[in-house]
Amino acid sequence: MTLPLYDAGLPLRPAVCDTGVVGAVKPLQRTESDTEVITGDAVETRRPWNVVVWNDPVTPMSVVVVIFRKIFGYSNNKCTQLMMTVHHEGRCIVWSGERGRAQTYCVKLQVAGLQSTIEQEQ
Amino acid sequence: MVGRQRIFVRRRDGRIEVRLNDVGRSVAREAFGHVVAAERDPNHEWHVILNAPIDPSNDQDDPVATLNREHDTSTNAELAVMTLNDQFLNDAEAWAWLCTLQVALRSTAIANGLLSDEKLAACGPELLDYVRTLQAFLFELADCF
Repeated sequence: MTLPLYDAGLPLRPAVCDTGVVGAVKPLQRTESDTEVITGDAVETRRPWNVVVWNDPVTPMSVVVVIFRKIFGYSNNKCTQLMMTVHHEGRCIVWSGERGRAQTYCVKLQVAGLQSTIEQEQ
Repeated sequence: MVGRQRIFVRRRDGRIEVRLNDVGRSVAREAFGHVVAAERDPNHEWHVILNAPIDPSNDQDDPVATLNREHDTSTNAELAVMTLNDQFLNDAEAWAWLCTLQVALRSTAIANGLLSDEKLAACGPELLDYVRTLQAFLFELADCF
């Protein structure tokens, strides 16, 4: 049986992750590796999916901040920090977690006109 | 076209007042129309841009996700077209305007190869004026959120 491991407190990027800790999943046990979780007899490896926003030369900075705030509900300061990272580094991970949600956020960002992709954490 | 006063103003009742004149609305109409057309017509220049990969490591994206993207982009663009001549917008309508204007701006940039600041600075005056106009709309509309 595959358990929903991401919401069980796996170490996601603290600066960009908005998934909460769910304590209801009992049979989980941490191993020495950060990405391995023992579930009964099976050892599963799950790496989170990142939502990446890419820089472009035409989008006004304030628009990026508004879109981040609207889609993720982050604070204005956090949205500004993320926007500046996109601007200076060419890309920025704006959310990490379960694949389905990452895909949904990526689509929302694309619908809002930002260049966005998903990628699995290395 | 833009004038000295602001283009979009958030009023005390929560609505956003659109102060575009006829020329400004025609620019918005053109942008919205292109987005609607691009979603419907696979041969439109922007169609590929609107269908960019979600997960580039996969040969094909999840069809449900791409369908949702198509639906949401079309809904925003169609709502923007329907409210084009309105003097006041509610939040959902203003969000549809912002998304559609941003999609049009980025699609214009990609379709014309404006992928760097240098390319943008070197483009023709007509195209640059169009890009600057869309940016001005977006800048002011973003200020209302």
